[in-house]
Amino acid sequence: MRIDIENSDEYFERVKKILGYFDILDKANIEGEEVPVQQVAIDELRDDKYVAFEDPLIQQLKNYRDSYVRAPKMN
Amino acid sequence: MSLGISAIEYINGIKNGTITAEEFVAKTIEHIKKVEPKLHAFISLNDNALEQARAIDKKVKAGQNVGAFYGMPISIKDNICIKGGKTTCASRMLENYTAPYDATVVSKLNAQDAVIIGKTNLDEFAMGVATEFSAFGPSKNPWDTEYVPGGSSGGSAVSVAGLESILSLGSDTGGSVRNPASFCSIVGLKPTYGLVSRYGLVSYANSIEQIGPMGRRVEDVALLLNHIAGKDPHDPTTIDNKNQDYLSGIDSGISGKKIGIIKEMSSGSGLDSTVASVFKNSISAFEKLGAKIEEVSLDMVEYTVATYYVLTTAEAGSNLSRYDNLRYGYDLDSEGYEFKSYISKARRNFGPEVTRRMILGGFVPSAGFAGKYLLKALKVKSKLKKQIEAAFSKCDFLISPTVPVLPFKFGEKIDDPLAMYLADINTVTANLTGVPAISVPYEVKNGLPVGIQIHANLLQEKQLLQAAYALQNTTKLPEVPL
Repeated sequence: MRIDIENSDEYFERVKKILGYFDILDKANIEGEEVPVQQVAIDELRDDKYVAFEDPLIQQLKNYRDSYVRAPKMN
Repeated sequence: MSLGISAIEYINGIKNGTITAEEFVAKTIEHIKKVEPKLHAFISLNDNALEQARAIDKKVKAGQNVGAFYGMPISIKDNICIKGGKTTCASRMLENYTAPYDATVVSKLNAQDAVIIGKTNLDEFAMGVATEFSAFGPSKNPWDTEYVPGGSSGGSAVSVAGLESILSLGSDTGGSVRNPASFCSIVGLKPTYGLVSRYGLVSYANSIEQIGPMGRRVEDVALLLNHIAGKDPHDPTTIDNKNQDYLSGIDSGISGKKIGIIKEMSSGSGLDSTVASVFKNSISAFEKLGAKIEEVSLDMVEYTVATYYVLTTAEAGSNLSRYDNLRYGYDLDSEGYEFKSYISKARRNFGPEVTRRMILGGFVPSAGFAGKYLLKALKVKSKLKKQIEAAFSKCDFLISPTVPVLPFKFGEKIDDPLAMYLADINTVTANLTGVPAISVPYEVKNGLPVGIQIHANLLQEKQLLQAAYALQNTTKLPEVPL
Protein backbone atom coordinates (compact mmCIF):
# COMPACT_ATOMS: atom_id res chain seq x y z
CA MET A 1 0.00 0.00 0.00
CA ARG A 2 1.28 3.44 -0.85
CA ILE A 3 0.74 6.47 1.31
CA ASP A 4 2.15 9.97 0.86
CA ILE A 5 3.64 11.40 4.03
CA GLU A 6 5.25 14.62 5.03
CA ASN A 7 7.96 14.54 7.72
CA SER A 8 9.02 11.06 6.69
CA ASP A 9 12.01 11.19 9.08
CA GLU A 10 9.71 11.65 12.06
CA TYR A 11 7.51 8.73 11.01
CA PHE A 12 10.58 6.63 10.32
CA GLU A 13 12.03 7.27 13.80
CA ARG A 14 8.78 6.53 15.62
CA VAL A 15 7.95 3.42 13.61
CA LYS A 16 11.53 2.19 14.16
CA LYS A 17 11.12 2.67 17.91
CA ILE A 18 7.86 0.71 17.90
CA LEU A 19 9.40 -2.09 15.81
CA GLY A 20 12.26 -2.14 18.34
CA TYR A 21 9.69 -2.69 21.08
CA PHE A 22 8.10 -5.52 19.08
CA ASP A 23 11.45 -7.36 19.43
CA ILE A 24 10.23 -8.29 22.92
CA LEU A 25 8.34 -11.08 21.13
CA ASP A 26 11.70 -12.80 20.56
CA LYS A 27 11.88 -13.45 24.32
CA ALA A 28 8.44 -15.08 24.59
CA ASN A 29 8.56 -18.77 25.38
CA ILE A 30 6.27 -19.98 22.60
CA GLU A 31 8.18 -23.04 21.51
CA GLY A 32 5.89 -25.76 20.23
CA GLU A 33 2.95 -23.35 20.05
CA GLU A 34 0.83 -23.68 16.91
CA VAL A 35 -0.51 -20.75 14.91
CA PRO A 36 -4.26 -20.87 15.52
CA VAL A 37 -6.39 -21.36 12.44
CA GLN A 38 -10.02 -20.33 12.51
CA GLN A 39 -12.35 -22.52 10.51
CA VAL A 40 -15.88 -21.56 9.64
CA ALA A 41 -18.10 -23.95 7.70
CA ILE A 42 -19.36 -22.50 4.43
CA ASP A 43 -23.00 -22.86 5.44
CA GLU A 44 -22.31 -20.75 8.52
CA LEU A 45 -21.10 -17.83 6.46
CA ARG A 46 -23.35 -14.92 5.64
CA ASP A 47 -25.19 -15.39 2.36
CA ASP A 48 -23.28 -13.75 -0.44
CA LYS A 49 -26.21 -12.03 -2.04
CA TYR A 50 -26.78 -8.67 -3.59
CA VAL A 51 -28.96 -6.43 -1.46
CA ALA A 52 -30.38 -3.60 -3.49
CA PHE A 53 -30.44 -0.14 -1.94
CA GLU A 54 -34.04 0.72 -2.51
CA ASP A 55 -33.87 4.50 -2.16
CA PRO A 56 -32.51 6.69 -4.99
CA LEU A 57 -29.02 6.97 -3.48
CA ILE A 58 -27.78 10.23 -5.00
CA GLN A 59 -31.04 11.98 -4.23
CA GLN A 60 -31.02 10.59 -0.69
CA LEU A 61 -27.49 11.77 -0.07
CA LYS A 62 -28.47 15.27 -1.19
CA ASN A 63 -31.47 15.15 1.14
CA TYR A 64 -29.46 13.90 4.07
CA ARG A 65 -26.94 16.68 3.79
CA ASP A 66 -27.55 19.27 6.50
CA SER A 67 -30.86 17.76 7.48
CA TYR A 68 -30.68 14.73 9.75
CA VAL A 69 -27.61 15.72 11.64
CA ARG A 70 -25.80 18.87 12.41
CA ALA A 71 -22.17 18.76 13.22
CA PRO A 72 -21.30 21.78 15.31
CA LYS A 73 -17.68 20.86 15.84
CA MET A 74 -16.71 20.23 12.25
CA ASN A 75 -14.44 22.82 10.74
CA MET B 1 -35.68 16.05 37.42
CA SER B 2 -32.00 15.24 37.48
CA LEU B 3 -30.09 14.28 34.33
CA GLY B 4 -27.91 12.09 36.53
CA ILE B 5 -30.58 9.44 37.07
CA SER B 6 -29.89 5.84 36.08
CA ALA B 7 -31.49 4.14 33.10
CA ILE B 8 -33.67 2.09 35.43
CA GLU B 9 -34.83 5.25 37.27
CA TYR B 10 -35.59 6.89 33.92
CA ILE B 11 -37.78 3.97 32.81
CA ASN B 12 -39.60 3.92 36.14
CA GLY B 13 -40.10 7.70 35.89
CA ILE B 14 -41.72 7.39 32.47
CA LYS B 15 -43.86 4.44 33.55
CA ASN B 16 -45.20 6.19 36.64
CA GLY B 17 -45.66 9.50 34.81
CA THR B 18 -43.23 11.62 36.84
CA ILE B 19 -41.23 12.45 33.71
CA THR B 20 -41.87 12.49 29.98
CA ALA B 21 -39.41 11.57 27.27
CA GLU B 22 -39.86 15.01 25.70
CA GLU B 23 -39.03 16.84 28.94
CA PHE B 24 -35.99 14.68 29.56
CA VAL B 25 -34.65 14.90 26.01
CA ALA B 26 -35.27 18.68 25.93
CA LYS B 27 -33.38 19.12 29.18
CA THR B 28 -30.58 16.90 27.87
CA ILE B 29 -30.27 18.98 24.69
CA GLU B 30 -30.20 22.17 26.74
CA HIS B 31 -27.48 20.69 28.93
CA ILE B 32 -25.50 19.54 25.87
CA LYS B 33 -25.58 23.09 24.48
CA LYS B 34 -24.25 24.36 27.80
CA VAL B 35 -21.41 21.89 28.38
CA GLU B 36 -20.35 20.94 24.84
CA PRO B 37 -18.07 23.96 24.30
CA LYS B 38 -16.15 22.69 27.34
CA LEU B 39 -16.36 18.90 26.91
CA HIS B 40 -16.73 18.23 23.15
CA ALA B 41 -18.21 14.77 23.58
CA PHE B 42 -20.12 14.86 20.27
CA ILE B 43 -19.21 15.07 16.62
CA SER B 44 -22.81 15.38 15.48
CA LEU B 45 -26.23 15.71 17.08
CA ASN B 46 -29.59 14.34 16.06
CA ASP B 47 -31.85 17.26 15.20
CA ASN B 48 -34.90 15.01 15.27
CA ALA B 49 -34.36 13.85 18.86
CA LEU B 50 -37.10 15.99 20.37
CA GLU B 51 -39.61 14.99 17.71
CA GLN B 52 -38.80 11.31 18.28
CA ALA B 53 -39.24 11.75 22.05
CA ARG B 54 -42.64 13.39 21.48
CA ALA B 55 -43.76 10.46 19.33
CA ILE B 56 -42.78 8.03 22.09
CA ASP B 57 -44.67 10.06 24.71
CA LYS B 58 -47.75 9.83 22.47
CA LYS B 59 -47.43 6.05 22.39
CA VAL B 60 -47.07 5.95 26.19
CA LYS B 61 -50.17 8.15 26.64
CA ALA B 62 -52.18 6.09 24.18
CA GLY B 63 -51.30 2.91 26.06
CA GLN B 64 -49.60 1.42 23.00
CA ASN B 65 -46.65 -0.96 23.12
CA VAL B 66 -43.50 1.01 23.84
CA GLY B 67 -39.95 -0.28 23.49
CA ALA B 68 -37.78 -0.97 26.54
CA PHE B 69 -35.91 2.35 26.43
CA TYR B 70 -38.99 4.67 26.47
CA GLY B 71 -37.23 7.50 24.59
CA MET B 72 -34.05 7.36 26.66
CA PRO B 73 -31.23 9.50 25.20
CA ILE B 74 -28.40 7.21 24.13
CA SER B 75 -25.24 8.30 22.34
CA ILE B 76 -23.37 6.25 19.74
CA LYS B 77 -19.67 6.26 18.90
CA ASP B 78 -19.11 7.79 15.49
CA ASN B 79 -17.69 4.61 13.96
CA ILE B 80 -21.11 2.91 14.16
CA CYS B 81 -23.38 3.52 11.17
CA ILE B 82 -26.76 5.22 11.38
CA LYS B 83 -28.68 5.37 8.12
CA GLY B 84 -28.78 8.89 6.80
CA GLY B 85 -26.40 10.23 9.42
CA LYS B 86 -22.77 11.11 9.09
CA THR B 87 -20.34 8.46 10.26
CA THR B 88 -16.97 10.17 10.27
CA CYS B 89 -14.79 7.88 12.44
CA ALA B 90 -13.33 11.25 13.53
CA SER B 91 -11.37 11.27 10.29
CA ARG B 92 -10.99 13.86 7.54
CA MET B 93 -11.16 10.90 5.18
CA LEU B 94 -14.84 10.28 6.06
CA GLU B 95 -15.78 13.83 7.03
CA ASN B 96 -18.82 13.81 4.75
CA TYR B 97 -19.60 10.10 4.62
CA THR B 98 -23.30 9.37 5.07
CA ALA B 99 -24.08 5.79 6.00
CA PRO B 100 -26.69 4.13 3.75
CA TYR B 101 -27.72 1.59 6.40
CA ASP B 102 -28.13 1.12 10.15
CA ALA B 103 -25.72 -0.97 12.19
CA THR B 104 -27.50 -3.92 13.81
CA VAL B 105 -27.07 -2.39 17.27
CA VAL B 106 -28.71 0.82 16.02
CA SER B 107 -31.65 -1.09 14.50
CA LYS B 108 -32.08 -2.88 17.82
CA LEU B 109 -32.03 0.37 19.82
CA ASN B 110 -34.49 2.02 17.43
CA ALA B 111 -36.79 -1.01 17.72
CA GLN B 112 -36.76 -0.48 21.50
CA ASP B 113 -37.61 3.25 21.26
CA ALA B 114 -34.27 4.68 22.23
CA VAL B 115 -33.58 8.25 21.14
CA ILE B 116 -30.14 8.41 19.60
CA ILE B 117 -29.06 11.80 20.79
CA GLY B 118 -25.84 12.08 18.80
CA LYS B 119 -22.64 10.56 17.53
CA THR B 120 -19.67 10.75 19.86
CA ASN B 121 -16.05 11.68 19.38
CA LEU B 122 -13.23 9.12 19.19
CA ASP B 123 -9.62 8.75 18.22
CA GLU B 124 -9.47 8.58 14.43
CA PHE B 125 -10.73 5.13 13.36
CA ALA B 126 -10.68 4.12 17.07
CA MET B 127 -6.88 4.18 17.20
CA GLY B 128 -5.74 5.79 20.42
CA VAL B 129 -6.23 6.05 24.16
CA ALA B 130 -7.00 9.74 24.63
CA THR B 131 -9.23 11.07 21.78
CA GLU B 132 -6.27 13.35 21.04
CA PHE B 133 -6.14 11.79 17.58
CA SER B 134 -9.65 12.91 16.60
CA ALA B 135 -9.51 15.05 13.46
CA PHE B 136 -12.17 17.27 15.04
CA GLY B 137 -10.34 18.02 18.28
CA PRO B 138 -10.15 16.09 21.55
CA SER B 139 -12.90 15.47 24.08
CA LYS B 140 -12.18 16.69 27.62
CA ASN B 141 -12.40 14.74 30.84
CA PRO B 142 -15.37 16.14 32.81
CA TRP B 143 -13.51 15.50 36.10
CA ASP B 144 -10.76 17.90 35.02
CA THR B 145 -10.74 19.32 31.52
CA GLU B 146 -6.95 19.54 31.47
CA TYR B 147 -6.89 15.75 31.42
CA VAL B 148 -7.68 13.28 28.65
CA PRO B 149 -10.93 11.30 28.92
CA GLY B 150 -9.27 8.09 27.70
CA GLY B 151 -10.01 6.48 24.39
CA SER B 152 -10.77 5.59 21.88
CA SER B 153 -14.44 5.78 22.96
CA GLY B 154 -13.62 8.97 24.88
CA GLY B 155 -16.60 10.94 23.55
CA SER B 156 -18.99 8.19 24.64
CA ALA B 157 -17.51 8.14 28.14
CA VAL B 158 -17.62 11.94 28.38
CA SER B 159 -21.24 12.05 27.19
CA VAL B 160 -22.26 9.61 29.94
CA ALA B 161 -20.07 11.06 32.71
CA GLY B 162 -21.02 14.60 31.68
CA LEU B 163 -24.78 13.77 31.87
CA GLU B 164 -25.25 14.36 28.12
CA SER B 165 -26.72 10.88 27.67
CA ILE B 166 -27.81 8.09 30.00
CA LEU B 167 -26.12 5.32 28.06
CA SER B 168 -23.68 5.04 25.21
CA LEU B 169 -22.25 2.51 22.81
CA GLY B 170 -18.52 2.40 22.23
CA SER B 171 -16.25 -0.10 20.53
CA ASP B 172 -13.43 -1.95 22.23
CA THR B 173 -10.49 -3.30 20.23
CA GLY B 174 -7.83 -3.15 22.96
CA GLY B 175 -9.62 -1.44 25.83
CA SER B 176 -11.37 1.41 24.03
CA VAL B 177 -14.54 1.05 26.12
CA ARG B 178 -12.89 0.18 29.45
CA ASN B 179 -10.05 2.71 29.35
CA PRO B 180 -12.28 5.82 28.96
CA ALA B 181 -14.79 4.28 31.38
CA SER B 182 -12.01 4.13 33.97
CA PHE B 183 -10.70 7.64 33.19
CA CYS B 184 -14.20 9.18 33.36
CA SER B 185 -15.55 7.15 36.32
CA ILE B 186 -18.27 5.24 34.51
CA VAL B 187 -18.96 1.55 33.78
CA GLY B 188 -17.77 0.06 30.48
CA LEU B 189 -18.15 -3.52 29.28
CA LYS B 190 -16.26 -5.37 26.56
CA PRO B 191 -18.52 -8.36 25.84
CA THR B 192 -17.37 -11.83 24.78
CA TYR B 193 -16.20 -11.74 21.16
CA GLY B 194 -19.28 -12.50 19.06
CA LEU B 195 -21.91 -11.63 21.66
CA VAL B 196 -22.75 -8.33 19.98
CA SER B 197 -23.05 -7.90 16.21
CA ARG B 198 -20.33 -5.85 14.53
CA TYR B 199 -22.47 -5.28 11.42
CA GLY B 200 -22.26 -1.54 10.78
CA LEU B 201 -19.20 -0.99 12.95
CA VAL B 202 -16.47 0.47 10.76
CA SER B 203 -13.75 -2.18 10.76
CA TYR B 204 -10.39 -1.64 12.36
CA ALA B 205 -9.31 -5.09 13.63
CA ASN B 206 -12.24 -7.42 13.02
CA SER B 207 -10.81 -10.48 14.75
CA ILE B 208 -10.89 -8.91 18.22
CA GLU B 209 -13.09 -5.81 18.28
CA GLN B 210 -16.52 -5.64 19.91
CA ILE B 211 -19.20 -3.03 20.44
CA GLY B 212 -19.65 -2.44 24.17
CA PRO B 213 -22.22 -0.72 26.41
CA MET B 214 -21.29 2.19 28.71
CA GLY B 215 -23.32 3.71 31.55
CA ARG B 216 -23.11 5.26 34.98
CA ARG B 217 -24.39 2.13 36.75
CA VAL B 218 -23.68 -1.57 36.26
CA GLU B 219 -27.40 -2.36 36.03
CA ASP B 220 -27.77 0.18 33.20
CA VAL B 221 -25.02 -1.56 31.25
CA ALA B 222 -26.78 -4.91 31.84
CA LEU B 223 -30.01 -3.42 30.51
CA LEU B 224 -28.32 -2.15 27.36
CA LEU B 225 -26.54 -5.48 26.83
CA ASN B 226 -29.92 -7.25 27.06
CA HIS B 227 -31.06 -5.39 23.96
CA ILE B 228 -27.95 -5.48 21.76
CA ALA B 229 -26.64 -9.03 22.31
CA GLY B 230 -27.40 -12.09 20.24
CA LYS B 231 -27.14 -13.77 16.89
CA ASP B 232 -27.21 -11.59 13.78
CA PRO B 233 -27.43 -13.06 10.27
CA HIS B 234 -25.36 -10.11 9.04
CA ASP B 235 -22.39 -11.06 11.24
CA PRO B 236 -21.35 -14.73 11.07
CA THR B 237 -19.13 -14.36 14.14
CA THR B 238 -22.12 -13.70 16.40
CA ILE B 239 -23.25 -16.17 19.04
CA ASP B 240 -26.79 -17.14 20.03
CA ASN B 241 -27.08 -16.11 23.69
CA LYS B 242 -30.62 -17.60 24.02
CA ASN B 243 -31.96 -14.14 24.94
CA GLN B 244 -30.23 -14.27 28.29
CA ASP B 245 -31.44 -11.66 30.78
CA TYR B 246 -28.35 -10.00 32.25
CA LEU B 247 -30.36 -7.77 34.57
CA SER B 248 -32.31 -10.38 36.51
CA GLY B 249 -30.47 -11.57 39.60
CA ILE B 250 -27.82 -8.89 39.22
CA ASP B 251 -27.84 -8.50 43.01
CA SER B 252 -27.01 -12.17 43.63
CA GLY B 253 -23.66 -11.30 45.17
CA ILE B 254 -20.34 -13.08 44.88
CA SER B 255 -20.06 -14.87 48.20
CA GLY B 256 -17.89 -17.97 47.84
CA LYS B 257 -16.63 -17.04 44.38
CA LYS B 258 -12.93 -17.37 43.62
CA ILE B 259 -11.17 -14.27 42.35
CA GLY B 260 -7.69 -14.32 40.86
CA ILE B 261 -5.50 -11.22 40.97
CA ILE B 262 -3.51 -11.13 37.73
CA LYS B 263 0.03 -10.66 39.04
CA GLU B 264 1.48 -9.21 35.83
CA MET B 265 -1.22 -6.48 35.69
CA SER B 266 -1.19 -5.56 39.37
CA SER B 267 2.43 -5.02 40.22
CA GLY B 268 5.65 -3.78 38.70
CA SER B 269 7.22 -0.45 37.88
CA GLY B 270 4.53 0.57 35.36
CA LEU B 271 1.82 0.63 38.01
CA ASP B 272 1.05 4.05 39.48
CA SER B 273 1.14 4.05 43.31
CA THR B 274 -2.30 5.71 43.59
CA VAL B 275 -3.82 3.12 41.26
CA ALA B 276 -2.11 0.37 43.28
CA SER B 277 -3.58 1.70 46.53
CA VAL B 278 -7.12 1.92 45.07
CA PHE B 279 -6.75 -1.61 43.70
CA LYS B 280 -5.75 -2.83 47.16
CA ASN B 281 -8.91 -1.26 48.60
CA SER B 282 -11.02 -3.06 45.99
CA ILE B 283 -9.44 -6.40 46.95
CA SER B 284 -10.45 -5.78 50.59
CA ALA B 285 -13.97 -5.00 49.38
CA PHE B 286 -14.14 -8.27 47.42
CA GLU B 287 -12.98 -10.13 50.54
CA LYS B 288 -15.68 -8.47 52.63
CA LEU B 289 -18.23 -9.58 50.02
CA GLY B 290 -17.22 -13.16 50.76
CA ALA B 291 -15.02 -13.87 47.75
CA LYS B 292 -11.87 -15.94 48.03
CA ILE B 293 -8.81 -14.17 46.66
CA GLU B 294 -5.67 -15.72 45.22
CA GLU B 295 -2.88 -14.59 42.93
CA VAL B 296 -2.73 -15.87 39.36
CA SER B 297 0.20 -15.58 36.98
CA LEU B 298 -0.23 -15.17 33.21
CA ASP B 299 3.34 -14.81 32.00
CA MET B 300 2.27 -14.05 28.42
CA VAL B 301 0.80 -10.71 29.58
CA GLU B 302 4.30 -9.20 29.27
CA TYR B 303 4.08 -9.73 25.50
CA THR B 304 0.46 -8.73 24.97
CA VAL B 305 1.00 -5.09 24.02
CA ALA B 306 3.46 -6.05 21.26
CA THR B 307 1.17 -8.90 20.19
CA TYR B 308 -1.86 -6.65 20.13
CA TYR B 309 -0.17 -3.95 18.04
CA VAL B 310 1.32 -6.44 15.58
CA LEU B 311 -2.04 -8.11 14.99
CA THR B 312 -4.16 -4.96 14.92
CA THR B 313 -1.84 -2.98 12.67
CA ALA B 314 -1.76 -5.90 10.22
CA GLU B 315 -5.58 -5.96 10.18
CA ALA B 316 -5.82 -2.17 10.07
CA GLY B 317 -3.44 -2.02 7.11
CA SER B 318 -5.81 -4.28 5.23
CA ASN B 319 -9.08 -2.74 6.44
CA LEU B 320 -8.10 0.86 5.88
CA SER B 321 -6.78 0.30 2.39
CA ARG B 322 -10.39 0.79 1.20
CA TYR B 323 -10.06 4.51 1.93
CA ASP B 324 -8.46 5.28 -1.40
CA ASN B 325 -10.79 8.07 -2.55
CA LEU B 326 -12.26 5.70 -5.13
CA ARG B 327 -14.59 3.73 -2.87
CA TYR B 328 -14.55 6.04 0.14
CA GLY B 329 -13.02 9.44 0.39
CA TYR B 330 -13.39 13.15 -0.01
CA ASP B 331 -13.32 15.85 -2.64
CA LEU B 332 -9.86 15.72 -4.21
CA ASP B 333 -9.43 16.60 -7.88
CA SER B 334 -7.72 13.76 -9.76
CA GLU B 335 -6.42 16.06 -12.51
CA GLY B 336 -2.68 15.69 -12.98
CA TYR B 337 -2.20 12.50 -10.96
CA GLU B 338 -1.10 9.09 -12.15
CA PHE B 339 -3.52 6.45 -10.73
CA LYS B 340 -1.39 5.15 -7.84
CA SER B 341 -0.03 8.53 -6.87
CA TYR B 342 -3.61 9.84 -6.67
CA ILE B 343 -4.48 7.13 -4.13
CA SER B 344 -1.37 7.68 -2.04
CA LYS B 345 -1.98 11.44 -2.13
CA ALA B 346 -5.59 10.91 -1.03
CA ARG B 347 -4.40 8.94 1.97
CA ARG B 348 -2.68 12.07 3.23
CA ASN B 349 -5.98 12.86 4.88
CA PHE B 350 -5.29 10.23 7.51
CA GLY B 351 -4.00 11.60 10.79
CA PRO B 352 -0.57 10.73 12.25
CA GLU B 353 -1.57 7.72 14.38
CA VAL B 354 -3.55 6.04 11.60
CA THR B 355 -0.68 6.68 9.19
CA ARG B 356 1.79 5.16 11.65
CA ARG B 357 -0.35 2.08 12.10
CA MET B 358 -0.81 1.69 8.35
CA ILE B 359 2.95 1.82 7.87
CA LEU B 360 3.40 -0.79 10.61
CA GLY B 361 0.52 -2.80 9.19
CA GLY B 362 2.19 -2.97 5.82
CA PHE B 363 5.49 -4.02 7.37
CA VAL B 364 4.77 -6.64 10.06
CA PRO B 365 2.99 -9.16 7.80
CA SER B 366 5.31 -8.60 4.82
CA ALA B 367 7.46 -11.32 3.27
CA GLY B 368 10.64 -11.76 5.28
CA PHE B 369 9.18 -10.19 8.44
CA ALA B 370 5.94 -12.14 9.03
CA GLY B 371 7.88 -14.87 10.86
CA LYS B 372 9.52 -12.35 13.16
CA TYR B 373 6.38 -10.39 13.98
CA LEU B 374 3.03 -11.75 12.83
CA LEU B 375 3.51 -15.47 13.39
CA LYS B 376 5.12 -14.92 16.81
CA ALA B 377 2.24 -12.65 17.80
CA LEU B 378 -0.27 -15.31 16.75
CA LYS B 379 1.59 -17.89 18.85
CA VAL B 380 1.63 -15.60 21.90
CA LYS B 381 -2.11 -15.09 21.42
CA SER B 382 -2.62 -18.85 21.30
CA LYS B 383 -0.57 -19.45 24.47
CA LEU B 384 -2.29 -16.59 26.27
CA LYS B 385 -5.67 -18.18 25.49
CA LYS B 386 -4.51 -21.43 27.07
CA GLN B 387 -3.26 -19.57 30.15
CA ILE B 388 -6.59 -17.77 30.52
CA GLU B 389 -8.49 -21.05 30.17
CA ALA B 390 -6.30 -22.58 32.87
CA ALA B 391 -6.86 -19.57 35.14
CA PHE B 392 -10.64 -19.83 34.72
CA SER B 393 -10.54 -23.52 35.59
CA LYS B 394 -9.44 -22.35 39.07
CA CYS B 395 -11.14 -18.95 39.40
CA ASP B 396 -14.53 -17.44 38.61
CA PHE B 397 -13.12 -13.97 37.95
CA LEU B 398 -9.77 -12.34 37.27
CA ILE B 399 -9.14 -8.78 38.40
CA SER B 400 -6.68 -5.94 37.86
CA PRO B 401 -6.68 -2.16 37.70
CA THR B 402 -8.32 -1.21 34.38
CA VAL B 403 -5.47 1.11 33.44
CA PRO B 404 -2.12 1.03 35.29
CA VAL B 405 -1.87 4.83 35.27
CA LEU B 406 -4.10 7.76 36.22
CA PRO B 407 -5.64 9.95 33.50
CA PHE B 408 -2.86 12.06 32.04
CA LYS B 409 -2.74 15.64 30.78
CA PHE B 410 -3.26 16.55 27.13
CA GLY B 411 -0.01 16.41 25.20
CA GLU B 412 1.77 14.35 27.83
CA LYS B 413 2.04 11.19 25.75
CA ILE B 414 1.07 12.29 22.24
CA ASP B 415 4.68 12.46 21.03
CA ASP B 416 5.58 9.09 22.48
CA PRO B 417 3.36 6.46 20.83
CA LEU B 418 5.08 3.66 22.73
CA ALA B 419 4.26 5.17 26.13
CA MET B 420 0.68 5.50 24.96
CA TYR B 421 0.56 1.90 23.75
CA LEU B 422 1.76 0.66 27.16
CA ALA B 423 -1.35 2.16 28.80
CA ASP B 424 -3.20 -0.74 27.13
CA ILE B 425 -1.31 -3.48 28.96
CA ASN B 426 -4.18 -4.42 31.31
CA THR B 427 -6.96 -4.26 28.75
CA VAL B 428 -5.67 -6.02 25.62
CA THR B 429 -5.73 -9.51 27.17
CA ALA B 430 -9.54 -9.63 27.11
CA ASN B 431 -9.52 -8.75 23.40
CA LEU B 432 -6.80 -11.22 22.46
CA THR B 433 -8.56 -14.05 24.30
CA GLY B 434 -12.16 -13.03 23.53
CA VAL B 435 -13.28 -13.09 27.18
CA PRO B 436 -15.59 -10.41 28.59
CA ALA B 437 -14.21 -7.70 30.88
CA ILE B 438 -15.76 -4.75 32.65
CA SER B 439 -14.39 -1.58 34.20
CA VAL B 440 -16.12 -0.47 37.40
CA PRO B 441 -15.45 3.04 38.75
CA TYR B 442 -14.09 2.60 42.25
CA GLU B 443 -12.50 5.75 43.63
CA VAL B 444 -11.70 9.32 42.68
CA LYS B 445 -8.28 10.28 44.03
CA ASN B 446 -7.16 13.91 43.92
CA GLY B 447 -9.93 14.58 41.43
CA LEU B 448 -8.95 11.75 39.07
CA PRO B 449 -10.98 8.54 38.70
CA VAL B 450 -9.63 4.99 39.03
CA GLY B 451 -11.47 1.94 37.70
CA ILE B 452 -11.20 -1.74 38.54
CA GLN B 453 -11.30 -4.35 35.81
CA ILE B 454 -13.01 -7.73 36.23
CA HIS B 455 -12.66 -10.51 33.63
CA ALA B 456 -14.93 -13.55 33.41
CA ASN B 457 -14.82 -16.66 31.27
CA LEU B 458 -16.35 -16.71 27.77
CA LEU B 459 -20.09 -15.90 27.76
CA GLN B 460 -20.18 -15.45 31.54
CA GLU B 461 -21.46 -11.86 31.28
CA LYS B 462 -24.29 -12.55 33.72
CA GLN B 463 -21.88 -13.58 36.49
CA LEU B 464 -19.49 -10.79 35.50
CA LEU B 465 -22.21 -8.17 35.88
CA GLN B 466 -23.19 -9.64 39.26
CA ALA B 467 -19.59 -9.26 40.47
CA ALA B 468 -19.38 -5.72 39.08
CA TYR B 469 -22.70 -4.81 40.73
CA ALA B 470 -21.50 -6.16 44.07
CA LEU B 471 -18.27 -4.15 43.82
CA GLN B 472 -20.13 -1.01 42.76
CA ASN B 473 -22.23 -1.16 45.90
CA THR B 474 -19.17 -1.11 48.15
CA THR B 475 -18.17 2.39 47.09
CA LYS B 476 -19.73 5.84 46.97
CA LEU B 477 -18.37 8.12 44.30
CA PRO B 478 -18.46 11.92 44.32
CA GLU B 479 -20.58 13.81 41.79
CA VAL B 480 -18.85 14.94 38.62
CA PRO B 481 -17.92 18.65 38.94
CA LEU B 482 -19.73 20.07 35.90
